[in-house]
Amino acid sequence: MQTKGFESISLFGAAWLMLALCTAPLVAQETGTNKRILILFTHESHLPAQIMVEEAMRSTLQSGSTESLDIYSEYLDAVRTPLADYEKNLVEQLQRKYGGKKFDLIFCVNPPALKFALKNRSTLFPNVPLVFLVLDQRNLDGLDLGSNVTGVWGEGNYRSNLDLALTLQPGTKRVVVISGVGEWDNYWRSRVKEEFRPLAETIEFTYLTGLSIPEQKDALKTLPPHTIVFFVSSTQDNAGSNYGNVEVLRQISPTSSAPIYGTTDAHLGFGIVGGRLISFDAFGVGGAQVGLRVLAGERPDSIAPHGIASVPMFDWRELKRWGISEDRLPPGSVVKFKQPSFWAEYRGRIIIAISLLALESFVIALLLIERRRRQRAKEALDQLNAQLEGRITARTAALDAKTRELETFAYSVAHDLKAPLRGIDGYSRLLLEDHSEQLNEEGRSFLTTIQNSTEEMGQLIEDLLDYSRVERRELKPDRIELKSIVQKVVEQEKRDPTDRKIDFVVNVNGGTVMADVNGLTQALKNYLDNAIKFTRNVEHARIEVGAEEKTNGCVLWVRDNGIGFDMKYHDRIFNIFQRLNRSEDYSGTGVGLAIVRKAMERMGGRAWAESDPGKGATFYLEIPK
Amino acid sequence: MNDSIGPILIVEDRPIDLDLTKRAFVRRRLLNPILEARDGEEALDYIDRWDAGEPVPVLILLDLRLPKVNGLEVLQRLKLHPKYSAIPIIVLTTSGEDADIHEAYRLGCNSYIVKPVDFDNFMEVASQIEIYWCALNTAPR
Repeated sequence: MQTKGFESISLFGAAWLMLALCTAPLVAQETGTNKRILILFTHESHLPAQIMVEEAMRSTLQSGSTESLDIYSEYLDAVRTPLADYEKNLVEQLQRKYGGKKFDLIFCVNPPALKFALKNRSTLFPNVPLVFLVLDQRNLDGLDLGSNVTGVWGEGNYRSNLDLALTLQPGTKRVVVISGVGEWDNYWRSRVKEEFRPLAETIEFTYLTGLSIPEQKDALKTLPPHTIVFFVSSTQDNAGSNYGNVEVLRQISPTSSAPIYGTTDAHLGFGIVGGRLISFDAFGVGGAQVGLRVLAGERPDSIAPHGIASVPMFDWRELKRWGISEDRLPPGSVVKFKQPSFWAEYRGRIIIAISLLALESFVIALLLIERRRRQRAKEALDQLNAQLEGRITARTAALDAKTRELETFAYSVAHDLKAPLRGIDGYSRLLLEDHSEQLNEEGRSFLTTIQNSTEEMGQLIEDLLDYSRVERRELKPDRIELKSIVQKVVEQEKRDPTDRKIDFVVNVNGGTVMADVNGLTQALKNYLDNAIKFTRNVEHARIEVGAEEKTNGCVLWVRDNGIGFDMKYHDRIFNIFQRLNRSEDYSGTGVGLAIVRKAMERMGGRAWAESDPGKGATFYLEIPK
Repeated sequence: MNDSIGPILIVEDRPIDLDLTKRAFVRRRLLNPILEARDGEEALDYIDRWDAGEPVPVLILLDLRLPKVNGLEVLQRLKLHPKYSAIPIIVLTTSGEDADIHEAYRLGCNSYIVKPVDFDNFMEVASQIEIYWCALNTAPR
């Protein structure tokens, strides 16, 4: 719709009524150094194509001039409301409007404005240079331009337009030309037909003329291969309905089975692939450039009117649609509506996103690697643990077996030693009893020595068996009343036949411990045996048993007033076979205290001793709670 | 004494211990005939002889550590025997181990005595056995 009126201007060869009176010339007075320009537009001010032209002109003029420009626009609206009836009034109005202003340049856009200016220039703008812009050189036919006039026209070369289309669509066998039956449609179709005629031998041309939009749609839907469509202008159908070309293109293009080529850049973006198009922008720029030369001092008569070449222009989306590579477009082609690729549009964000993603992936990968590493380490550790456990189990079993073997060995050795010992003792006794008269005193003393030795050895074996028994006996922890167990052991000790008088003092008040009865009894008994033994030579032997409850256990002690020991041996005396006295002074095997320590250690307790030589000793037991 | 005094069976592999035991009994004037078995198998062989009519012992002294069949097995076999389980059996051994004592009593021994090393004590033990088991105690016939 937006271009219909504009395009129709060049067809407008219709009536031009002369203005009757043009009395006062529109000659502006000198009011400053600014150059003043008036642009006479044929159409009303809102026509889009005309707006394109005006914008191109204004921006070209402003940017191309060294002086400041004062640009005026007049929109004659001479197509919808032909000038014939009021041209005179309009001239008068313009005279009044611009009476005080002197213009340096007049532009006339499209034939009606040009014709109006030519007709009234002597009245309105005498001696002011005039630059015209028309779409077709033929619009100038029959016009007397006179002097001080120049301008540009659009070069709508349809043949070269079609040639370009054929280059882009090699193998094309037929061309469907679409046009309407409006005046403008007919004019352009006749131009197109005229230019296409020489190709008719090689290419089949089909002219679809005056079809309604639905009919055009149907016709384009099922075109044979190797066909292209050439859209000229279709503003009116055979039934007399009027359309806008843009509207037509919008409807027929999406379902068209062949690419549509067009004639102006006003149609670009609405469904045409493009072509060598009349560009309104180039048109405006071209006209303005001529104006600039005039403003710069060139005489219009010395500037030959010339055409503004069509521009190869394309719609990027349509090129994609029909698979036409941009590489094949002629040099200088303008490609519009290029949709920035996702990459171009979001490059920054994509880079950031990808970077983040990469970073994240990297971190994830690191974490995964780390996790894998840990898993492997854990597996290895588990395996190692399992191996270790296996080895520990095996070693423990081996150790247990060895221990049992050793125990059996100790047990057997002890027992086996006892049997011959019994023989030695028995027969030496029998010898002494039954045959003593056959022996002399010395012989008898030898036999006594043999008996003492066997007794000593017997004791040693018993002690060793006790010692090994402590280790082998199963622990049976039980709640034990300290007082009763101490009294029981002390009573047993008292009962041992001895000619000595020993003062036993039990100083234990209550208190219970969790301990193995056998172990504790054995330890206590050995301590008491020890105390009894080492108080042998004391006049008033006194043995005290005491106990004290501590936070983490109970301490029991046996204190005597015997010979005591040197504190430097305080720990050594608990070692097996460790003796501090000669056997003739204090007999013993050196096993008793070792048994105590072993028994206490087995139940998680301790055994230690303190002494002041000559003043007695105190032996302690600590039983954990 | 007279023939009605039943024999005592001593199961002992060590000749010294056997000899000392016998001497101890002789010293205590024990009149019961002494039967000997030098290993576990020999001890169990007596069962056939008793079945064949030989006099059944009134007391058996049994060592635990014996060749071929050990003392605990001999003890078990005798104590499970339908005819001879009533014979009093005294385990007389060098072992004072808890495990042995416990097992021997579990299998039904009538007494458990650890052989003393000391001859005097050994004599005392022989004397006590004689007094208790042969004089005081009434054994089943």
